[in-house]
Amino acid sequence: MLRRCIVLLLAAVPVAATAAPDSYTIDPFHTFPNFTVDHLGVSTLHGRFNKSSGKFSLDRAAKSASLELVVEAASVDTGDGDKGSRARSRDDHLRSADFFNAAEFPRMTFKSNSVTFNGDNPSSIDGSLTLLGVTKPVTLTVERFKCNPASANSKERCGGNATGRIKRSDFGMKTGIPAISDEITLLVEIEGLKE
Amino acid sequence: MTEFLDHPAVQAAVAPLLVALIAAIALARTRFAWLAILAGYATMVALSTGFSFSPLTVARKTVLLGLAMPLVGVVADLLPRPTRATARTLALAAAALSVWVFLSVLKQRDAWDAIATGGGIASFVAALVAMVLRLRHDGLRGGAAGLGLGLATGIAGVLSASIGYLIAGVAIAASAGALLLMQVVLSRKLAPGFTGTLPMGVLTALFASGTLLLAELRWYVLPLLLLVPAAASMPVPERAPWIVRAAILAAYALVAAAIPILAAWYAAHGSLS
Repeated sequence: MLRRCIVLLLAAVPVAATAAPDSYTIDPFHTFPNFTVDHLGVSTLHGRFNKSSGKFSLDRAAKSASLELVVEAASVDTGDGDKGSRARSRDDHLRSADFFNAAEFPRMTFKSNSVTFNGDNPSSIDGSLTLLGVTKPVTLTVERFKCNPASANSKERCGGNATGRIKRSDFGMKTGIPAISDEITLLVEIEGLKE
Repeated sequence: MTEFLDHPAVQAAVAPLLVALIAAIALARTRFAWLAILAGYATMVALSTGFSFSPLTVARKTVLLGLAMPLVGVVADLLPRPTRATARTLALAAAALSVWVFLSVLKQRDAWDAIATGGGIASFVAALVAMVLRLRHDGLRGGAAGLGLGLATGIAGVLSASIGYLIAGVAIAASAGALLLMQVVLSRKLAPGFTGTLPMGVLTALFASGTLLLAELRWYVLPLLLLVPAAASMPVPERAPWIVRAAILAAYALVAAAIPILAAWYAAHGSLS
């Protein structure tokens, strides 16, 4: 009996040590990087990017995770996409070289460098944000995170909300400062489906 | 003070005008008074975006050329016998450099689209630079062309969703206006030479091309900009007082500048788009 237990334990150890982290593909219909920016000191303007893609991995046992998020700059949406009788809409202007410069830099990326856990769930992500060709470290705080098990009509789904702050001037985006604030608050809602 | 300097009108017009005037006064007795264009443009860059060249984006390559072109112009003016061939060579070099400036954007397009767009922009840059360089012997005409081209590219820029190109274009207009004013006050011609015309031609051509690729300017506005240096070449009563000649040439250039501005306005409002 003892011998059988030892054999089973020995067989299990390498399996546990090499267990691969679970991989998730970003669900583009439930993943939206949002941002807020102060406008003229009067109000807070909200915007988001409608197209993003990427993947993340999660290994709760090893308390490790990674995230790669690619955001299409031209998908910026602040609720003013129809210029109507004006020369341009705010979203047109945000896509231009004054702000996101989508023609020259069509994609922004965030890649995690390390992820901190609180219990079983990630609590903060230290990573690198590349915007306008400039890469700077950014920390995202994970405010909630949950996984729903696979069901008859869906794969396992994990996701949550992460927040962070950047200074856009650090990335060379200086138009309108200080009337349009330098400091930007990020709120990223992420969901991924297990591969 | 910081609030004052952060204002777009100060960055685009007031500061470049004042700095260009000071530079023009300081250099008025030399052949290189038109380095005031460089002073005005550099002031705008310092106040609006600052001098940073990494990563080397379209905007930063444009700044780099804006700083280099007056110095290339000085060298060309110091040649023993600058000829028409010198002007043609500089126009072709500017065309080649424009492809370099926009390469990062062109590379993202399909091959034929990139070739057509790059070729179109290079042709436009060569044509505009060549036409502005032809005004290098006449300070009033050069100043009027700079005023008109700066305003045309700047206003067309803001109509096409770019405040950056508005500020840049108006800075060239303000600097050229300062030199126009200086000649009226001194009642003396300050020939722009290559030193003045090369940066005005190259920069305004790059501003317009940048607004085409990075904002929403329509392609047909570009050839209409060629009307501005053409208008500044039109005859004026040569014996009229300086102020009258300057006013007539400025009026020619501004009327011509109104055409691409109107085209950009109609495009922005959907009538021609």
